[in-house]
Amino acid sequence: MSRRSVGELSRYLLEGRISQRGCINGRRLSSRTVPVWSSLRPPYALRHLHTQPEPAAAAASSQPIHVPLRKQLKEQAKQAKKQGKKKSKGDSQTVDGWELTVGIEIHAQLNTSRKLFSPAATSFNDEPNSHVALFDVAMPGSQPLFQKETLIPAIRAALALNCEIQPISRFDRKHYFWWDQPSGYQITQFYEPFAKKGHITLLARDGISTEDGESVTVGIKQVQLEQDTAKTLAQTGSVHWLDFNRVGVPLIEIITEPEIHHPRTAAVFVRKIQLLLNTVDSCVSGMETGGLRADVNVSVRRTDDPSKKLGTRTEIKNLSTIKAVEDAIIAERDRQIRQLEAGGVIAGETRGWTIGSKETRRLRGKEGEVDYRYMPDPDLPPLVIGNDLVQRLQTSLAVLPDTELDKLVNHYGLTPKDALSLITLDNGSRVQYFYRVLALLESKLQAELDIADLPEVKSYSTLAGNWILHELGRLTTYKAGPLASGDLSFTQLGECAQVSEEDLSQLLYHLYRKHITGKVAKELLMAVYLGELEGGILEAINGNDLWFKEISQEEYEALAAEAAAGEDKVLEEFADEQKYPQGKLMYLVGKMMRLGPTERIDPAVAENAMRQWIERFHGR
Amino acid sequence: MTAAVVRRGALARTKWYLNCSMSIGQLPLRRSQSTFNHFVGSTKLQPSSTPPTPKPDAKPFRLAVKDNIATEEFPTQCASGVLGQHASPFEATIVRQLRARGASVVGKTNMDEFGMGSHSVNSIHGPVRNPLAPAGEDVSAGGSSGGSAVAVALDDADIALGTDTGGSVRLPAAYTGIVGYKPSYGMLSRFGVVPYANSLDTVGLLARDVESIRRLVFDTRLYEEHDPSDPTSLSVETRQRCSKAAPAALPDLSHLTIGVPVEYNINELDPAIRDAWAATASALESQGARIVPVSLPSTKEALCAYYILAPAEASSNLAKYDGVRYGIRGTEGDAAGETLYSEARGAGFGPEVKRRILLGTYSLSSEAMDNYFIQAQKIRRLIQQDFDRVFKLDNPLYEPRQFDLSEMSADTALEDKQGPVQVDFLLSPTAPTYPPKLSDIMKRSSIDAYMNDVLTVPASLAGLPAVSVPVKIDQSHQFPTGLQLIAQYWDDRRLLALADKVVKLMAA
Repeated sequence: MSRRSVGELSRYLLEGRISQRGCINGRRLSSRTVPVWSSLRPPYALRHLHTQPEPAAAAASSQPIHVPLRKQLKEQAKQAKKQGKKKSKGDSQTVDGWELTVGIEIHAQLNTSRKLFSPAATSFNDEPNSHVALFDVAMPGSQPLFQKETLIPAIRAALALNCEIQPISRFDRKHYFWWDQPSGYQITQFYEPFAKKGHITLLARDGISTEDGESVTVGIKQVQLEQDTAKTLAQTGSVHWLDFNRVGVPLIEIITEPEIHHPRTAAVFVRKIQLLLNTVDSCVSGMETGGLRADVNVSVRRTDDPSKKLGTRTEIKNLSTIKAVEDAIIAERDRQIRQLEAGGVIAGETRGWTIGSKETRRLRGKEGEVDYRYMPDPDLPPLVIGNDLVQRLQTSLAVLPDTELDKLVNHYGLTPKDALSLITLDNGSRVQYFYRVLALLESKLQAELDIADLPEVKSYSTLAGNWILHELGRLTTYKAGPLASGDLSFTQLGECAQVSEEDLSQLLYHLYRKHITGKVAKELLMAVYLGELEGGILEAINGNDLWFKEISQEEYEALAAEAAAGEDKVLEEFADEQKYPQGKLMYLVGKMMRLGPTERIDPAVAENAMRQWIERFHGR
Repeated sequence: MTAAVVRRGALARTKWYLNCSMSIGQLPLRRSQSTFNHFVGSTKLQPSSTPPTPKPDAKPFRLAVKDNIATEEFPTQCASGVLGQHASPFEATIVRQLRARGASVVGKTNMDEFGMGSHSVNSIHGPVRNPLAPAGEDVSAGGSSGGSAVAVALDDADIALGTDTGGSVRLPAAYTGIVGYKPSYGMLSRFGVVPYANSLDTVGLLARDVESIRRLVFDTRLYEEHDPSDPTSLSVETRQRCSKAAPAALPDLSHLTIGVPVEYNINELDPAIRDAWAATASALESQGARIVPVSLPSTKEALCAYYILAPAEASSNLAKYDGVRYGIRGTEGDAAGETLYSEARGAGFGPEVKRRILLGTYSLSSEAMDNYFIQAQKIRRLIQQDFDRVFKLDNPLYEPRQFDLSEMSADTALEDKQGPVQVDFLLSPTAPTYPPKLSDIMKRSSIDAYMNDVLTVPASLAGLPAVSVPVKIDQSHQFPTGLQLIAQYWDDRRLLALADKVVKLMAA
């Protein structure tokens, strides 16, 4: 199954980049295609959002800090200052004395080639009104024809949300007048939806509000199939054009139980739904392209009496970004609390949210509520879903992100942030590349070592993970010079055109076995990337005598003594055992490296030698 | 008929629908110019698709098509202002099927707007008039397929297509003295039929004799054809299964049991109609058929259920006529605080359509849904079970069902220890009265008009095949009596065979 979608999603989530392909015609692009724009912004830039700076040990080898990243961070800080954001959002997750309750409805476009009830093609940004069947424009005498292919992504989505698939479900008409709804009703599943009683668990690493602790499980009340509406293209004046290409495109609506109590968690829920739907290939388009929209129901009640029923809820319609979900909930919660504290009451009404505003605004009240007059569609037979189909889709369901993350963290020892980066980078191809490199590295170790001497997986999988994320990422960060236009491209299966898994595993093998130094390894990697190595890694090491010939323990000690000479003032700082001056130690180690033959020194061994020298110096 | 033929002779022989000099875009002829107003004036259109390939055994015949069935050669207007000159970009499956069998469409027929009515008076083109009426009197031709019935009665067409939702083919057939057949629901494709109430709508056929309908439906194997464009068209496998369940040929009358449903003998029934009904039953009995009274206890609720369900579906189906694509957009409205589209819908629909939309809108509203729509659906189920209980044949759409005696009324006579008698067919009148004068209809309330459907609605709710045949026992009477035969689901072939026998028996 394609994993490309994950990466695409992460691009809107993390970089705000809008997909160039729709939900729908995603299938049409070859997986090998690397869109031109990807070189404008290297995937490496993602790092600042979800990876930590490298550990101190690696930093010791004086790596230049990635300049664009620093600039970016600075600008962000400046921006934040300008907006007067002194307190972080963490402070706005709760209000003393009040409990917030949120339920969410998410509409997501299914990844299908046909509309829900007509054989017209689904499309994205095609010539307006070029994919319209008679039924789509409610031509008198036309009838709905259920396209059963649309079930596949719908069932996958429901399975990813741990729902029970209903053997029989039905279609109902939801009536309301709007120009984007040609038949005057939307076909949906109101009385008997096809999936019910699901749940998803949000973890601390997903970024839920700290008040929710390690994890929170949100119940999914139901998932239903329904039609999308036409697209309105506003023209100057009061003129609106209608593009019926979108009308009848299959959507699923996911309705949660009112079980979310913190704004951040609600936003994280929506983001996780996006990720899940992408992973199982149900939907490849996210919020920013209109492929996913959320409505939130918000109510508040005082915490003094937990048995009290929920407060009157208001619904905020059509939230189109993850951030808007959180911001709108906070604004609406605060508005409701203000109102109640001032002795007012909350009217059950529909409200709207404009991105960037501070307040929700009233759209219509109870008196303006539409009675949708749900009626079973008399043309459509019940939808019967066989257990065989459900079983088949269940077994072929893509590995869900949480399962894969768990494996990367627990088995391979990656940090949660690195694991997340790995599975979201390059449309999910980067993690496949990781598995390929790791397998080769493993077989090389097994070939060279006795079984008893085989190291723990984590000891080399973390090394591989580091290199595949950070060292590889570094290659494409150059903004100028001959490397500026360079790029890494991966196939869906995880093959890299620029740095083959054979080369990288060979390199990592020698690095891991301390046959070469990190510095040499980095230089070799660059050479591989630039295609400068003609005869392969081994030949390059041999030809240039790059093997790490470590100096003897005595030479280390001599170097330590030499480096410490004349540094009495520094050495004095080590006198206090309570406050070990690690920085000063690293200064002395650095001096050792400069004094000796750098390419033959292992910094860790040098550090150890220096430490021991100091201990002896202080007579300990 | 004689009077009608004489009167028709006085008409100009130019058939408007063959008037090819009329170019597209010209204003339509107002059909009030025609005496009976059965055809709808409209400009002929340039068909966008090629005509269907004729079948090898196609025999040419003239076909009139009710104006709610999409045709490419003529506009499809449903007698409504909102669909004025609507040129359908496609043709209904049934029209193409019949064209492939030799039909040439002679014109579109006048009707009640969207099929809503029992007298073909709720039309933007004005009322259809009954050709059997004495000169100078305007009498109902029945509805809603009144134009189709009149076209056949006047020999302007050999066969006419109508639609029957609650009796709209059978009632005009009864009023105009012809044969009107409503097939089993799901047999003939509805693709291209502008829906009034989808779960009840069936395409029906009208002709002067039963035989031409039977030939068309069964000899040309129309009944076997599944239409993939209509989700309610029975699949080929289900058709085969249903056909196997029903005997192919009608046995001798002496092997038949025909039920006379006692609940259909209502107080409002015209005595002359009751006489014709009794006379026909006696005639059948004299030929060896066994005539038994049967009880269909839920019949009295049928009309109420129908007038909840049909308007509910109608209110939904007609929501699309909002002035955006169909109908004429108002100059006002659509502003903040105003009701959307009310002007277009107010101007486009006639009063009866508006009445039913409002009825349906109410019965579907969240406060009324449980008390009206849901209850009506339950009654519909009971009515269907009533029929299953009295028919010998099992309903092929359901698992065979045992009926508990406790479910039946206490006065049900038991045939033997197996339970009450079961029948092959049911015989009843089609309408409680003879066609009323148009002037009387205008004076009455709409509820009175709804009463006319009381005998035809039950078969519609149950999806059963039914046919109305003309019977005349008193030659001095102006109008023949329409008698209705109802059969178990998919027993259409035997139903038409029996209908043919009844017509011949009573003519003799």
